Amino acid sequence: MKAKSWVTICLSMSLLLFFSGQVLAQGVIKIGGVYPLSGNIASTGLDCKRGIDLAVDIINGKYGKGLDLPMAKTGGLPNLGGAKLEVVYADTKGEPKNGMSETERLITQEKVVAIIGAYQSSVTKTASQATERLKVPYVCSDSSSPTLTERGFKYFFRVSPHDAIFARDWFQFLKDVEKKKGKKIATVAILYENTEFGSNVGKYARKYAEEFGYKVVADISYAANATDVTSEVGKLIKSKADVLMHASYITDAILFTKTFKEMGFAPKGILTMAGYIEPGYLPAVKTDGNNIIVRSTFALDLGKKKALVTKVSQLFKKKYGIDMSENAARSFMAPFVLADAINRAKSTSSEAVVKALLETNIPAHQVIYPWKGIKFDPQSHQNIYAQGGLVQVQNQQYVTVWPFASAAKEVVWPFPGWKGEKK
Amino acid sequence: MKNLSPKHVTVGLAVLVLLIIFPMVVTQIFPLQIMILVFMYAMLGVAWNIMGGYAGMFSFGQAAFFGIGAYTSSFLLVTFHVNPWIGLIAGGLVAALVAAAIGYPCSNLRGHYFAIASIAFAEIVRVHFNNWTLVNAAEGISLPMLDESFINFMFHNSKVPYYYIMLAFLIIALVVCYFVATSKMGYYFRAIKESHDVAEVLGVNVVRYRLMAIMISAFLSAMAGTFYAQYVLYIDPESVMLLAVSVQIVLLSMLGGAGSVMGPVIGAAVLIPIAEVTRVWLGHKGTGVDMLIYGFLITIISVYQPQGVWGLLSRIGNKIK
Amino acid sequence: MLARNEIMPEQLLQQIVNGLLIGFMYSLIAIGLTLIWGVMNIVNFAHGEFLMIGMFASFWLFTVYGLDPLFSIPICFLLLFLMGVFIYRFIVSKVMKGPMLAQLVVTFGISIFLSNLAVYLWTPDFRLIPPTILQGTWDFGEINLSIPKTVASLGSVVTSVCLFLFLRKSKTGKAILATEMDREAALLMGINTERINSLSFGIGAALVGVAGAFLSTYYYIYPQVGGLFGLIAFSIVALGGFGSIEGAFIAGVLVGLAQTLGGFFFDPAYKYAIVFMIYLITIWIRPQGLLGW
Repeated sequence: MKAKSWVTICLSMSLLLFFSGQVLAQGVIKIGGVYPLSGNIASTGLDCKRGIDLAVDIINGKYGKGLDLPMAKTGGLPNLGGAKLEVVYADTKGEPKNGMSETERLITQEKVVAIIGAYQSSVTKTASQATERLKVPYVCSDSSSPTLTERGFKYFFRVSPHDAIFARDWFQFLKDVEKKKGKKIATVAILYENTEFGSNVGKYARKYAEEFGYKVVADISYAANATDVTSEVGKLIKSKADVLMHASYITDAILFTKTFKEMGFAPKGILTMAGYIEPGYLPAVKTDGNNIIVRSTFALDLGKKKALVTKVSQLFKKKYGIDMSENAARSFMAPFVLADAINRAKSTSSEAVVKALLETNIPAHQVIYPWKGIKFDPQSHQNIYAQGGLVQVQNQQYVTVWPFASAAKEVVWPFPGWKGEKK
Repeated sequence: MKNLSPKHVTVGLAVLVLLIIFPMVVTQIFPLQIMILVFMYAMLGVAWNIMGGYAGMFSFGQAAFFGIGAYTSSFLLVTFHVNPWIGLIAGGLVAALVAAAIGYPCSNLRGHYFAIASIAFAEIVRVHFNNWTLVNAAEGISLPMLDESFINFMFHNSKVPYYYIMLAFLIIALVVCYFVATSKMGYYFRAIKESHDVAEVLGVNVVRYRLMAIMISAFLSAMAGTFYAQYVLYIDPESVMLLAVSVQIVLLSMLGGAGSVMGPVIGAAVLIPIAEVTRVWLGHKGTGVDMLIYGFLITIISVYQPQGVWGLLSRIGNKIK
Repeated sequence: MLARNEIMPEQLLQQIVNGLLIGFMYSLIAIGLTLIWGVMNIVNFAHGEFLMIGMFASFWLFTVYGLDPLFSIPICFLLLFLMGVFIYRFIVSKVMKGPMLAQLVVTFGISIFLSNLAVYLWTPDFRLIPPTILQGTWDFGEINLSIPKTVASLGSVVTSVCLFLFLRKSKTGKAILATEMDREAALLMGINTERINSLSFGIGAALVGVAGAFLSTYYYIYPQVGGLFGLIAFSIVALGGFGSIEGAFIAGVLVGLAQTLGGFFFDPAYKYAIVFMIYLITIWIRPQGLLGW
């Protein structure tokens, strides 16, 4: 067995020296995708990957004409000789230090010309610091921390809305629904998991609560992997809040839903984020998810107003056998933004691409969300048209309910309570 | 327990020269990144070894000191614009103080109880930092991108300066460890490790020496923490104070050979590249195969080669004599 | 934090009840761990992963064979028992004579291996067993008792009592206790301590496998689920005093209460820090734990 240790040492040492850059295939433009592909949050990372892979297929012309998305009609980038797009993935395992090292590796070794990713805002932070140092463009369409676009970075662009926008949406919705249903709302309870995502949402929720004139009667943060949440729910019940606002991941979303029902916590409305719209949530909680409202950039029923959405979701279902989720939909857009910019720049050099990104003006009919399009603020590089919406679970489906103007169905309000209660 | 023989010195110098030349020959970023991580974890392992391998206090909470170092220097930098090198020392001192504070009540804990207490302590620290608004709680601290310079302890265009700095830190840690090991202090550490009670009866001030071991260990770990912060430019409790980091430190120290100066270095040199390379080659499919291999290796090593690689090498070395 | 006088007695009672429910679950998990620890002085860092395997076993038995989790408990017991014996025979027994560090580390290696094996075989997705025979809540006035949780907790208590009786009344059980108390003496009395080790490891694994089956009736299942549960279990065992079954049981309940009441009265974000704090303070005052020797 001593041999085993020797083999181990030699193997690892020689592996170190085996590294060489990849040969750049002709007519292929490589971009790097950094995502958590293993570890706790792997199911989400893989979900994002699905969206990206479909986008790349479309860009490369796999689905022929008939799709009104950038590059879809031409297949490949016409200004660069029809060059195809290829995404090289790296696994961050959800750790910020890997975000940095994988990004560097993709750029220096795999010779990618741009980066997308990384879902978790803490990882995006370090990954984008690497791209800023190495002067490579980074287009993010799936991380929602507002701080990402507050750093004055030159190479970082964000397509999707951020948590401050989402938090504000919650309160705007409350104002709108008060008017619509004629029922006054006075108090809110804010509940959030205690990593960067949740606590940021908590911060903005507190801010907007004050701005919009609602009283915060409970402000609770908790560990997402808690073994039991009866104390948290107990506190919520004690607070007698009118409305609950909850920022969670999927595991806590499931646990809380069950505990809410168990302990009979039924406020007038449950407004949530993220975890409640993960593909694994509804299959887990089934009818218990009904009437919960979640923030979303995407919903399948957008297809009623925008044929493109239906076409894309059908392609997604055909390729993967499952419905397109919000995560996949968010990550879907980044390759298009990059392809469009690189094409217009007629070059893959960073400066040219960044300049082209600043001039991005993708129209409303070419995005699969209810936005006016994609255009980046020259200072913050945040997409000025990015906005969120709210969907509600009705009959175990996500239905767009707000803004009311683009709602597919009427919102069920107030929250009618839990089915199957023995009360 | 290694006395410095001419053979050792020669080999050591040769390796050192190779390491110094390495970045001039290998210019790709990924190998450099691996080496930097190897040095950093090796230093953490050496720091652990001082209290674990030598003094018998198996701590599974080193990440707390690592994190305290990172947070102290980063907080001082961001809030008061204190130079990171001063922050480095400050971080070490804060960590040492915290170590003493926690070490004192734990000074009569043995073996498993101490290990679990160290986990409990580290988790308490992590939860606290996760909720402490002064240090941005869960949001973490993003270090500003200062101009590239040695004084600023920040480099953007190349990893090479980081490489040399970390190597220097590691050498400092090794020197400290060597002096501890061969000094009277080290002798007392080993006595305490063998048997608390006997050491006490023989007149060794067990509490004092245990505290010293923990404080030295904490200081060195904190230095590594400051380096990490200056290197990655973003820290949050989830990345610097995680139990997994503490466990990794113990694992590589054990693998390399606890209770020997170079043990953790070898352990880091073997485990870190394996972890990084398998993640790159296998990780992106999302199947966890890389960690599977990792876990398997650790199990095998514990069973068949518990003295670690260093133990193996010394046995061979003895036979060659 | 709201003022004390705003808390109604029913809410307090609800929290206490919930604390007990989770506490009993913790107890069962911890008992297996303390048995292993007590008999052979091994801290099984893979204990959380054994829990996870128990949960997955219950899930697959349900999904593939339609077996309700309650009925799959004996199967989980057997499966985990065999797994425990196997792991002991082929891995752990070989480090028994090695340095303590190797003993500490080998179970870490097993834990990393098992959780990633689960990722490899079953993907990192979260699973939930849909409510079956047991579902809903019993309402006693203002107090709500989740039926799955209550059954799981009662089941844990029953299992713990069974183990207790087994150890005290059966010949094998007494042999285990004897080995736990004094290995050398047990050897002299003609007890095959190797076999006892094997048996105890198996039983320890089986117990936490049963806990996993109970837990799977209401908690979500995924490869890393063992992490936090395992961590808490170590604190419980050390708090109760290593090797003491009664100690582990009591400590489990205490921790469950501390977690729930601490979270309710103080701050849920610090819930687990409170648990660890209690461990540290107890250990400082009484280094051998509550009932340890």
